[in-house]
Amino acid sequence: MTGPSVLLVEDNPRNLKLARDVLEHAGFAVTAVGTGEEALPAALAARPDVILMDLQLPGIDGHAALGRLRADPETAGIPVVAVSAFAMQADRDRAMVAGFDGYLMKPISVRDFPAQVREHIRAVGGAP
Amino acid sequence: MTEPHDERSTGRAADADDPVWLAARLAEAQEQLAATREILSVLARSSTSEADVFEAVIDNARRLCRGQAALINLSATEGYRLVSAKGLPSEYAAFAADHLVPRGRGTLTGRVAIDRRTHQIDDVLADPDYNLPEFQRLGGYRSIIAAPMMVDDEVVGVLTVWRTSVEPFDEHSRALLTTFAEQAALALRTVELFSELEARSAELARKVDEREALAEVGQAISSTLDPDEVLTTIVEHAVELSGADGGSLMEYDEERGLFRVRTTYGTSAVVRTRLKTVRIHVDESFVGRAASTGIPVQVHDLAEVELDPHLRVLADGGWRSLVVIPLVRPDRIVGALVVRRLTPGAFSEETCDMLTAFASQSAIALTNARLYEQLELQRRELATTSQHKSDFLASMSHELRTPLNAVIGFSEVLLERMFGDLNERQADYVQDILDAGRHLLALLNDVLDLSKVEAGRMELDVTTFPAVDAVQSVLALVRERAAAHGVEVRYDPAGAPDQITADELRLKQVLLNVVGNAVKFTPAGGTVTLRVWTDGPEVLITVSDTGIGIAESDRSRIFDSFQQGTRSASSSEGTGLGLTLTRRIVELHGGRMWLESELGVGSTFGLALPRQEQPGPVEGWTEPALDDARRTVVVIEDDPSSAELVGVHLAAAGLRPVPVRTGEEGLAAIRALRPTAVVLDIHLPGMDGWDVLSTIKADPALAATPVVVVSVLPERGRGFALGASDYLVKPVSKEGLLGAVWRALAERVDRTSERRHAVVIDDDPAALELVRATLEPQGWTVTTCSGGAEALAVIREVNPSVVLLDLLMPDVDGFEVVDALRADTRTAATPVVVLTAKTLTAADRHRLQGRIEFVASKGELDLSWLATRLTQVAAGGATGGAS
Repeated sequence: MTGPSVLLVEDNPRNLKLARDVLEHAGFAVTAVGTGEEALPAALAARPDVILMDLQLPGIDGHAALGRLRADPETAGIPVVAVSAFAMQADRDRAMVAGFDGYLMKPISVRDFPAQVREHIRAVGGAP
Repeated sequence: MTEPHDERSTGRAADADDPVWLAARLAEAQEQLAATREILSVLARSSTSEADVFEAVIDNARRLCRGQAALINLSATEGYRLVSAKGLPSEYAAFAADHLVPRGRGTLTGRVAIDRRTHQIDDVLADPDYNLPEFQRLGGYRSIIAAPMMVDDEVVGVLTVWRTSVEPFDEHSRALLTTFAEQAALALRTVELFSELEARSAELARKVDEREALAEVGQAISSTLDPDEVLTTIVEHAVELSGADGGSLMEYDEERGLFRVRTTYGTSAVVRTRLKTVRIHVDESFVGRAASTGIPVQVHDLAEVELDPHLRVLADGGWRSLVVIPLVRPDRIVGALVVRRLTPGAFSEETCDMLTAFASQSAIALTNARLYEQLELQRRELATTSQHKSDFLASMSHELRTPLNAVIGFSEVLLERMFGDLNERQADYVQDILDAGRHLLALLNDVLDLSKVEAGRMELDVTTFPAVDAVQSVLALVRERAAAHGVEVRYDPAGAPDQITADELRLKQVLLNVVGNAVKFTPAGGTVTLRVWTDGPEVLITVSDTGIGIAESDRSRIFDSFQQGTRSASSSEGTGLGLTLTRRIVELHGGRMWLESELGVGSTFGLALPRQEQPGPVEGWTEPALDDARRTVVVIEDDPSSAELVGVHLAAAGLRPVPVRTGEEGLAAIRALRPTAVVLDIHLPGMDGWDVLSTIKADPALAATPVVVVSVLPERGRGFALGASDYLVKPVSKEGLLGAVWRALAERVDRTSERRHAVVIDDDPAALELVRATLEPQGWTVTTCSGGAEALAVIREVNPSVVLLDLLMPDVDGFEVVDALRADTRTAATPVVVLTAKTLTAADRHRLQGRIEFVASKGELDLSWLATRLTQVAAGGATGGAS
C-alpha cells in the first residue's frame, strides 16, 4: 500500500528532516528539494499529491515558485500549501490571495501535521 | 466802571418813556447779538484755523465800536506781532509786518497784557507815557482801546480798536471789545486743542497700525507651523510699517558665533543670495556687534562708514541706511532684524520703538521655528526608528521560529515515540526541551503582540459572543494543568452576562494568562475562582486564588514587563510579558485591570470591560453577528482609489476587505478565502464582472457567496438576473455599500441557519434527553418541559418552529395542550408533532385530525428519520396528518 506522495520545498536542512521524518512516519512518500527553482522540475518528475512550500527560499521565493507551478498545465492542479515561519496575518492573507491552497505556520505541530497535509489532498480530491 | 451802571439805573424811569431812546438801545442790542452769533458760528465752523474767526471778530469790533481800524496782535518772543487787521493804512500794515509792538507800559498793548484787562487811552498824543511814535504816525490814531485775549490764564494776544479823532470809547464799547477779545481767544484755544487732537489722532492711528501689524504677526505665529512663513510675515510688516524699503531676519547660531539670513523682504534675488552666503560673525561684523548691545543700532549712510563683508553686499545692492534690532530671548541673542532704506538718513525714535516691539515677536517666532524644526526632525527619526523596530521584530520572529520549529518538532517526534521508546529519564529530558522551546515560542509571540500594541497596530476584531464560550474554553485549557498541580478551578456564573462584546481571541488570551498565573502560583490543595458579572456599564471578571499573595512592594510593578514579583519561587514558566500584554489588551478594549492581594492569603486579579451597545438597526438593515472567520470580503476592483474607498468603508464596519484587481485573481481569492461576501466591479481588465458573477453562481461551492455589484453601468436587471445580491451604481455612499453588504449577509445567515427551535414536552427526563441528543448536533435549539402547563407558557414565549409532544402527562395532557395551542392565535399555526408510547384509539386520532403534523411512536422510533422529518416541518415542507 503506497501512501500519498508529497514534495517538500524547504531550504533549512533540520526543518526539512523534521517534516520528512514526520510525514514518512505517517506513511507519506516524500520527495524534497531545497530551492524554489527545483520545485517545478521535481514536481514534473514526482507528480506528488501535494506540495509543501517554504516561503522564504534562496533564489526565487515560494510565491515565485508557486507561479511557475501554476503556469505549467502539468502541475497547475497540484495543491500547494505554504509552510512558513512568517507569523503575521498579512503574510497569511497574501499567500492565500496568491493562490496557495493552505497556510501552515511554523513551528508545526508534529501530532497534527500529517492530518493537516492530508486534508489538502482530500480537499482537491486527488488522493484515494 | 460804575458809571454806566449808574447812568442806566438813574435814567431808567425817565428814559423808559422815551421811545426814541428805547428803539436805539433795542437796535444796539440786536446788533450785538447778531455780531456775537456770527462770531460764534464762524468759531463753530473753523476748528482748523483761527484766521476766519479773527476776521469776524475784527470786522464786528470795528463796526460796533465805531472805530476806523481794528487789529489783533499775538504775543511773540520779543513783543506783539500783527496777525489780523481791518481799516489800517497800508504804510502801517507794511511797517507792522517788519516790526513788533514792544512789551511794557509804553504801549497800550503792553499795558493790557501786563494788567490783563481792557484799557483805553483817550488821546495817545496827550499820554506822556505812551511811546510808540512810528506806529502812531503811520496809523494816525488818537483814541485807542484794547482788550486781552486770555488762554489758560495767560495773555496770548490783544484786540485793539482805534479812532483817528479824539473821541474816547464809552463803557458799552469797552464791554463789547472785552467780549470780542474773549471770543478771539476762544478761537485760538479751539484751534490749539484741535491741532493737538489731530496730532494725537495721527499718533493713535499709527499705534493702531502697529498693533494691527503686531496682531497679524502674532496670528501668523500661531496659525502656521511653517516657520519661514512666520518670519517672512514679520519682516514684511516691519519694513512696511517703518516706511523702509527692505529688510532681513537673521538667526544666530550660538555654537559657531554666526548670524545666518533666514528670510528677506524687498531684496533682489542677487543680494538675497549673497546675504545668505556672506559670513556674519558675532564679533567681526557690524550687525553682530550691534546685536550684542541689545539695543537698536543705526547706520545713517553706508557710503560713509567702513564696510564689513555683510555691509558691502548691502552697499553694492544700492542700500544706504539701516537699523539693526537685536532679537533677544531672556539673556540670549537669538538673531537680528535688519531694516534698510535705499536712501541715507536716520530712523526715527518711534520707528525704532516699533521695530523693537516687532523684535520681541520675532524672537518668539524664531525660537518656535527652531523648536518646530527640531520636533520635525525627531518625529522623522522616530518614524524611521519605529519602522526599523518593526522590520527587526518581523525578521527576528521569522529567524527564531525557524530553529524553534526543529527544537519543538523533534522533541515532539521523540515524545510521540514515533521511532521507538524512551526510558523515563530520556522522556523527562525531552519534555524539558519541548517545554523550553514552547516557552521561547510564547515569549516570541508575546513580544510580537506587545510591539503591535505599542506601535498602535494591534487591531481588535470586536464581536459579540456568548460569555460562557470564552470562559469554558479557557477553563478547559487550564483544568488539566490545575489538576496536575492539585489546584481546583471553580467558575462562579452568578450574574454573568449572556453575551460579551470584545475581541474573542484576545479576551481568551487575557483570561488564559490570568487564570494560568493563578493556577501556577497557588499551592496544591488551593482553589482558583473565576467570576464574571455585570456592574452598570461594565463587565467585571475576577480571578481569585488562595496562593501565596503578592507583597505590597511588588504590586505596582506586577504589570510591568519582566516583573513576576518574589512569588515566582521556583518554576517561572511565564514569559514575563504576559501581564503587561494582558493589561494593554484590556486597555485597548477601553477597560482596566487591578490587583488585590494579601500575603499568605491570596490574590485577586480583576478586569473590567465596557459593555458595548449592540449596533442597532440603521436605515432598514442590521449587522448580522459574524464570527472572526466570516468577516472577509473580497473586493474585485481595478481602480485603486475606488478599491481603497470600498476597503475603508468595509474595514470601518469591522469587515476585513481583501482587494484584488482582476476577475481571475478575484475568483482565486474567493476559492482560497471563502469570503463572507464579494464586492464586484463590472468593468475589469481581462475577464469582466459579468463573467466573474456567472462563474461564482455556476460553481456549487461558491454559489452561496453573496455578491454585491458596484458599477458605473446602470444594468441592475442583468445583475440580478445573474444572481447578484444587490446592484449599486457608482458613486456609492458608505451607507449604500454597507447596507447592501449587510442585507446580503443577513439573507445568507438566515438561509444557512434556518430557524430550528423545538420545544419538547415529556414527563420522562430520559425521553427529553434522547430528543435533545438527537436534535442538538443537527443545529437545533431544544427547550425541554416536563409538563403541559409549563409548556404552554414556554411555547408562547419562545415561539418554536416545532413542538414535540407526549400525550400522557400527569397534569395537563397532550390533547389539552393541542387544544390550548390551537385556541390561541399566537400559537394556532405552530406545528405540533406527537411523540408517544400510547397506542392511539380512533377517538384519539379523530381528536388530533388536521391539528398536528404527524404522530411518531416512541417504541419504534428511527431518530435520524425523526430529525429529517422535523427539519421538513420546521421549513414548512411537511404535510399534515397522522402516520
